This record gives sequence, C-alpha cells and structure tokens, in this order.
Amino acid sequence: MFSVASCFREAQLQPVVVFLEKLLRSKPVIWTLLILPGLWPLWPLLVTRSPAAGADPLKLILHHLGFIACVLLATVLTFTPLRVLFPRWGVAFALNRHRRLVGVASFAYALLHLTAYLMHEGGFRTLIHDAFEQPKFFIVAGLVAFTILLVLAVTSVNALIRRLGGRRWKNLHRLVYVAAALAVYHQIYARKLFPVQVLWIFGPLGLLEIARVIRQQQTAGGRVKPAG
Amino acid sequence: MLIRSPKSWEISASTVTPEALYHARPRREFLRTLGVGLAGAALARPGALFGATAGFPSKENPLYPAAKLKPTAEEYVTVYNNFYEFGTGKDEPKVNANKGWKTDPWTIELAGLVNQPAKFDVNDLVKKIGGLEERIYRFRCVEAWSMVIPWDGFPLAKLVALADPKPEAKYLKLTSFNDPKSAIGQRQGNLEYPYVEGLRLDEATHELAFMATGLFGKPLPNQNGAPIRLVTPWKYGFKNIKSVVKIEFTATQPKNTWQAMAANEYGFYANVNPKVDHPRWSQASEQIIGGGFFASRQATLMFNGYEKEVASLYKGLDLAKNF
Repeated sequence: MFSVASCFREAQLQPVVVFLEKLLRSKPVIWTLLILPGLWPLWPLLVTRSPAAGADPLKLILHHLGFIACVLLATVLTFTPLRVLFPRWGVAFALNRHRRLVGVASFAYALLHLTAYLMHEGGFRTLIHDAFEQPKFFIVAGLVAFTILLVLAVTSVNALIRRLGGRRWKNLHRLVYVAAALAVYHQIYARKLFPVQVLWIFGPLGLLEIARVIRQQQTAGGRVKPAG
Repeated sequence: MLIRSPKSWEISASTVTPEALYHARPRREFLRTLGVGLAGAALARPGALFGATAGFPSKENPLYPAAKLKPTAEEYVTVYNNFYEFGTGKDEPKVNANKGWKTDPWTIELAGLVNQPAKFDVNDLVKKIGGLEERIYRFRCVEAWSMVIPWDGFPLAKLVALADPKPEAKYLKLTSFNDPKSAIGQRQGNLEYPYVEGLRLDEATHELAFMATGLFGKPLPNQNGAPIRLVTPWKYGFKNIKSVVKIEFTATQPKNTWQAMAANEYGFYANVNPKVDHPRWSQASEQIIGGGFFASRQATLMFNGYEKEVASLYKGLDLAKNF
C-alpha cells in the first residue's frame, strides 16, 4: 500500500521526517507559526515605512488578517484528510494534535479582521447597512462565516464538548465546511478581479477532500464486498 | 476690474490647512524663480521617464486657487495607483510602468464625427492649446478611497473645440494605449484592452472636465497615466482614463471597459453618489489616503462635492439606474 512515510524512508529521509514530526508536535512551535504571520504588516508599516502600505494602513491590516484567517481555516481542514489518507504518517498525526488550537486561531484572526473592518469601514452603522438594510451577499457571507466560527470556538471548551456529547458536537462542528465555502466566496468577492490566491489557499484542501472521499468509498466498498 | 465670484465647490477658508499653501505652491514658485522648472523636476525624480514636458510650470487659474483643498502627499499619489495595464496591485504600476515604457514622444488622435480630425504630438498640442493651468480636485475611487490632487493640464472643452464636432456627435470615446510588450497587465489580459472610457459631449465640454499632463507641477509620472489623461472630478476614478491615444466622437454611447467587465457593478456614468451603493459595498463614506490610522474616513459628497456645478447635467436621469 502506498504511504508517504515509506517513500520518505526509501529516500533515506527518515531523520528529517522524525525531526519534522517532533517539531510539529511542539505547542510553542505551533503558537509561533500561528502568531508570526499575523504580524507581517508591521514590517512595511513600521520598518520599511513603505508609502504604498502607509497610504491606507488599516486596509492593509484588514485584508491581511482576513487572509490569514482563511489560510488557517483551510490548513486546519487538511488535518483530517491527511490522517485518513496517510494513516501511518507521523506528521499527519502530529498536526492532528493541534486541530483545536489552529481552528480557534482561525476564529481569532476572523475576529481581528471583523474588528479592523469596523474600524476601517465606518463601524456598526456600515455593517448594519451592508448586512441588513441593503444586504450585500459578500458581507453577509463573511458575517455568517464569522458567526459559525464563533459558535465553534465557544463550543470547543472541554466542558461544552462533554456536555454536547460526541455525536452532537461532531455534527455541529461539520458547519465548519459551510464556513469555509462562505469564506471562499467572501474572499473572491472582496476584489474587483478574481484573486488567484484563493486557488492556492483552498485548492489543496479541495484536492485532499476529493481524495479522502474516494478513499473512504473504496474502504467502505471493500467492507460490504462479500468474501470470495 | 475683475470681480471673482467664488466657485460653489470651493471649500470654505475655515477648513483650509495653511500647509496646503506651504507645500503645494512655494516649491513651484521656487522652481520658477530659479528658471529651472523642467530641469528641477527632472532632477527631483532621477531615472523617471517623463511624458509631456511642454507648458511647465503651469499657471495658476484664479478660479481654481491652490489653497482651497489640502493635497494628498505626493508620495502616496504616485505609488497608490490603479493602472491595471501594469498590474492589479496598487504599488505595481510605479514599478512596472517605469521599466522602459516610452511615453515621449506620444501622439493623440482626434477622430470620428468631427470637422477637424487630427493627430497631435502631446507637447505640440499643449502649445497649441495655450499652455497649462493647475487645478486642485478631489479624487474619489469607486473602491471608496479618496485623495486631493493638484493636476496640471487644460480643459477638455478646448480639445473638443479644436476637433469641432459635427452636430450628430453626442459622445466621446476615449481609448488608452495598447502595448502588451511594455504592459504586463495587457500581457496577462487582466482586463479587455485597450482600456476605453466615454463621456457625453455635454459632460466633456463642462468646465470641470480636464485633460491632465502633470501633477504637483511636474509632468505626469508614468504610473499616473503619462503623458495625458482625463480628469472628471465628479466621477469615480475609473472614468479618468490614463495615457489617452485617441478621442473619437460618436453618435452612440460607447461601452467603457469596466462596464463591459461587470455591467451590474460599473455603469457608463460612474457619478460619485453616496446614496447609490456598489453591489458589494456602501459608497456613503470614503477612506482618506494618507490620513493615517484613526479618524481617516469622511462622508462622501454628492458628485464628489461638485453637485452645484454638474447636477444640472443629469436632470431627470434616474441616478440609481444610470449609475
């Protein structure tokens, strides 16, 4: 059976894989990977002081925070298919230890993104106008995606996971796929022309999900097949 | 004695920052005094390829005094540009439009339903028109941000008079350059090229409609649409077609590029209107470019603050439908 781990082993890359596994198991490493990208706008704004960034600093921050929220959402959703597709790959398992942390981080960035939007675009008056008075699907999509992430983040505390029980919790958290679809729409329509970055943020996730569905159908098919 | 009646769109003196006088005007007085207007400008921007150089320094038009609006800092005006021919990122045109794209010499053609079809070198045209004047206009992008820009140029009406339109001419179709070898955006095909814009003839001959060949007292930098571009301050920025090569007079309404791209989002008129939302965002307010981090948003004005001058052009027109 094909496995990424065995490929690596054949290429004598095992020490690298083990190191990567160890690295990704570490919480401080993940925290650093989650926080550092969010700080990027400080570089053009405070260090290089680029006029292109300074022209509308809050908009730069607003777009960047939304971008990171999308990247993290797409990233955390790859963890499960990676584990299903490569069950013996340690890296996939290491990543799956951080599902909650990365998911909540995506919500945190979405919250900061919404805050920057409110600061930049004229506060709740604009939000109410664009979401309710003269609803714009682009804004509504972002707001619904945010609300879903909010509910999922709140129900991710241990006490609520226990209280909801495994199956109900799992069903509720499947809403994350709705949030991801809305985030894709929201990101596309934030620009005047189609932003290619959407493809490389959500494209790999799409391919992994397709592969997972095929794999799961294969194994399910194998199970119902009568022996002999 | 000349009695100057203040224009209704001029901002009241109480809102004027003395810095406007301090920054916008004296540098040019200084250059003029030295008699090195051009040389000075060239020295100030080493390496930049300039467009039309004739007519500088421009004269101050007493009807459009410099002190009424505070210009946006030049470093923002010349780096924060929508010029998709050179990339969709705001700071890409400054880089990509200055990699050998030649804007001098440049020919502009007057064609279509006119009695005097002609082709002019832009510098000759400026001389023929009788020099340049400066106008400080508000600039409002459809993306809900705004600047204040001191343009150098001449009224479009003068160009229309030169062409001498026939009675059946009702519209102007303005076309920008097409040079995929020099323009990376045209190679990528991010829009349909060449970029096209249009005006009604009465809009084009309105006193506010302007052809700019410079800003901040210097020839237009390439990224701002060198060597000659349209400025219609009561309309959204995308109407203000850059690097014009042809003005054609037509009987039918031309289809402008953004309308062709997305007719539900961008219309022919593109008049600034805080009451008519873009399908994806409100147009009620705008971000002031260079306004800093806090309190840098302001209410958008009807026709971008030029309502008294231009509202009569659109009497009886449903502005929500004709956006």
